[in-house]
Amino acid sequence: MAGNRKTILVVGGGVAGISAALDIAAGGHRVHLVEKNDDLGGQVAKLDKFYPTDHCAFCPLWTEIRRCKESEAVTIHTLSRVETLEQAEGRHRAVILESAPVVDPALCIYCGRCEAACPKGAARPIWEHAYPPVYCIDRERCGDCRACMEACPTKAIAFDRDERKITVDADEVIWAAGFDEVSLAPMKEYGWGTHPDILTSLEFEAWKAEAGDNRGKILRRSDRAVPRSIAFIQCAGARDLRFLPYCSAVCCMHALKQAQWVKRRNPAVDCVILYTDLRTVGRDYYEYALRDFNGNGVRLVRGRPSMIHPLPGGGIAVRYEDTSTGRREIRKFDMVVLNGNLKPSLPSRPAPEARPERGDEGFVSPTAVSCGFVMEPADVTESAIQASSAALRSILGTRG
Amino acid sequence: MTKTGVFLCNCYGEIGKVIDLESIRKRLEADPAVDFVSVRESLCMPGDAAEARALVCGRGIGKVLLGACSPYGRMEMVRLALAKEGVDVRTVRAVDLREGCAWVHGKDPAGATRKAANQLDMELAFLQNMRDSKDVAVRIQQGALVIGAGPAGLSAACGLARLGFPVHLIDRGTSPGGLLNMVTRVYPSDVPGPEKLAALVAETRSNPLIRFYGKTKVASVRGYAGDFKVALAGPEGKTTLRVGAVVLATGARLLFPQGLYGYGKLKGVITQMEMERQFAAGKPACQSAVFIQCVGARNAERPYCSTICCPLSLKNAMRIVDEIPGAKATVLHRDIMTPGSVLEAYYRKALRMGVQFIRFDADRPPEARGDGQVSAVDVFDAINGTTRTIETDLLVLSTPLVADPESAALARMLEIPVDRHGFIAEVYPVHPVETRNDGVFICGTARWPVSSDQAVAQGEAAAVKAASFLGRQTVPALSMSRVPGTKLGHAEADASACTGCGNCVAVCPYSACKLQRTGNRSVSRVIKVRCKACGSCASVCPNGAMQIPEQNYRVTGEMIRRAFREVP
Repeated sequence: MAGNRKTILVVGGGVAGISAALDIAAGGHRVHLVEKNDDLGGQVAKLDKFYPTDHCAFCPLWTEIRRCKESEAVTIHTLSRVETLEQAEGRHRAVILESAPVVDPALCIYCGRCEAACPKGAARPIWEHAYPPVYCIDRERCGDCRACMEACPTKAIAFDRDERKITVDADEVIWAAGFDEVSLAPMKEYGWGTHPDILTSLEFEAWKAEAGDNRGKILRRSDRAVPRSIAFIQCAGARDLRFLPYCSAVCCMHALKQAQWVKRRNPAVDCVILYTDLRTVGRDYYEYALRDFNGNGVRLVRGRPSMIHPLPGGGIAVRYEDTSTGRREIRKFDMVVLNGNLKPSLPSRPAPEARPERGDEGFVSPTAVSCGFVMEPADVTESAIQASSAALRSILGTRG
Repeated sequence: MTKTGVFLCNCYGEIGKVIDLESIRKRLEADPAVDFVSVRESLCMPGDAAEARALVCGRGIGKVLLGACSPYGRMEMVRLALAKEGVDVRTVRAVDLREGCAWVHGKDPAGATRKAANQLDMELAFLQNMRDSKDVAVRIQQGALVIGAGPAGLSAACGLARLGFPVHLIDRGTSPGGLLNMVTRVYPSDVPGPEKLAALVAETRSNPLIRFYGKTKVASVRGYAGDFKVALAGPEGKTTLRVGAVVLATGARLLFPQGLYGYGKLKGVITQMEMERQFAAGKPACQSAVFIQCVGARNAERPYCSTICCPLSLKNAMRIVDEIPGAKATVLHRDIMTPGSVLEAYYRKALRMGVQFIRFDADRPPEARGDGQVSAVDVFDAINGTTRTIETDLLVLSTPLVADPESAALARMLEIPVDRHGFIAEVYPVHPVETRNDGVFICGTARWPVSSDQAVAQGEAAAVKAASFLGRQTVPALSMSRVPGTKLGHAEADASACTGCGNCVAVCPYSACKLQRTGNRSVSRVIKVRCKACGSCASVCPNGAMQIPEQNYRVTGEMIRRAFREVP
């Protein structure tokens, strides 16, 4: 390998950050990977299935996370954030503030005795498929009774571990902070927050997940009854000059995936996708949209709702214009899934002047090296490509 | 025969509270294949691996059996810790006594104990009967071959050269640039195509590590990851190269819309590429231009979206409105495909500039009218339900990118699959520029229709992936696995038992099995670098000639026998 061994700081441990870190490490360089949550994985760790394969999302992600954790060249900082970032002589000096987890992953054997002992339900696995599987303590629920400490056979739990400050001198910083869901509460017409059966697509993904509490059953959140109909609303908050002007790029396929999954689980559920433009540009995406299950497929209706409102007798009213007929309709659905309210993640640290420059819509501009959704709305495939490209640019020290 | 040392983990009672570890210990100690049995409270705590290693080394044994948690628990960490202590983990086998026995059979301790005993017996049989795959190391050829010098290939070649690797860049054209050479403006930056690539093209001349071969094609490829032998056919005849990696960036072709919407019959009906030529020559002579999207795409014959046609029409429609005073531009579409932030802003810009958009249904496509020269287009507006007539003197057909048959031929040579549209398939969506044949990488529109920006990013991605492979001097075949240290072995063909039936060649997903002529018969040979030890060949071999030494038929037979053996 030509050149010296470089050190690259990667901010964000989702699929983009992980992919970039692995490519940099494979090129013989060192990586510091900073993740704000308990474990790597990011938003993809919350997905039950991938499109267009309909394969479990966790398996490929699990493999990549494992490779990261087993790589000598990658230093992972979980529960961490970049506190300060200064540039001097072409290098970046970052101070990483790393909180120690309450449950030490080196000692937790995943026996679950803390979960059984906790009266508040604060002890839970980080996520179903973490590698290695580890518990964590949700500090917001924790009642400070310390029953978990008593129960833990390996003394893995300690509440008083200190935060650490780690200074890293990096040759380049890759921004891969991913996306956050934006609250749709300001967009009153979507009714989000007014009824448990009006969910965002990520809420629905967790609700219907095969590894989730319902073990893959399709149920209403309000009364756990089987829904008769589900409406998937596209561009909820997106492609809307009052809110998010851009297209979030992943939602059309995500809704198709969810709707088809519902159909596969229970063909009797009427699934309607209300869309603006059905954006299916990747390999096999358009055919994925055309797929039909049991001759009773997902219905695609072009139209954007003007009002979504819970009905007093149960169910949710959705008012929209079907643009193919020009008719205004009010239809009752049992559940409504809202898609599109994704925005590039904006960490509160480091200080604004140390953060990368961003365009009007919040995406990191090409003056900095970035990849994944924080650079441009991207799905897993796109993120992986951008991550490898960012890895190359960071090793070579080239921009844009 | 080397004896086996057994470690049984109690997991702080998680295993011992259900499984009778003491009876299992006694059973195993009575087995002549077992050297010792050590029941421990844990195996994964700090210091455990060092203690285990001391015991193993002290007894001078080479094989270790662990009874502990699942590989999705902490077992892989235990193996890793043992490996760090210097234990050869290829002879360490593990049995899941916690998740798979104690936890799921918690209500049936006797049954759980029986299952645990059977499983430990099975793995003992594995360790006693396994043989070692003979490993081979590949000397990595430092150079790379990049096929195709469009945006993707140029970016891959320059990326590799900047990282210090020699690159042979070939193209069937005389000079680099590909399709972009014919494009006067590239969306969304609106710079001319040649200008966009100028820096990269200059680098192919200035960087001594890059050698460009114009008017050159690949004649044949032999070899495997790390050592491909490639024959090139060019103006100076045949050249042979040895390279460690191949990047395929051959691009795609635009569909020629013969017979559609009056193309070839009416004057003024042109393709997007012909429009580019008109822009290159000056301004198109028109007062109104109509663009039809999805011409020959998203239909039964080509059920895919070609990604680039919508932004291409936006760009050219904006140019018409912008550059020809008083001219109108109308885009007839089925869905405007501008995902993301940059392209959606590009769409909004077109709307602001007064480009008109009319949506039509696939089953009611627009119709071109005219007598010799196109004069109008009738379109059923799917939004307001009326048929509209747009007078126009230019009708631009947006046709999709289609796979190049030459790319498919190359894919066959490189033993990588194409998808059902003829585009070259990646190994998995999470690894979008890697292929089923290690050492062969794909980027650009040969893979799937993409914009030039995306093609450049994919070229960089292919460069970094290829470089991480080329950066090593030698690669042991046993390390060729996505997760290092997890490859079981590789298949070996017993030439004396092989009848040359070719079953293994037919089933191997990695093209690792080859029939080789020796004397007057053919026998199978395994390219170990390619073999992933999936066992497909062994399962179809009628003579037991094809075996993975680690999981040979004795191992499998003995494991099956023990799986159902009565445990007292």
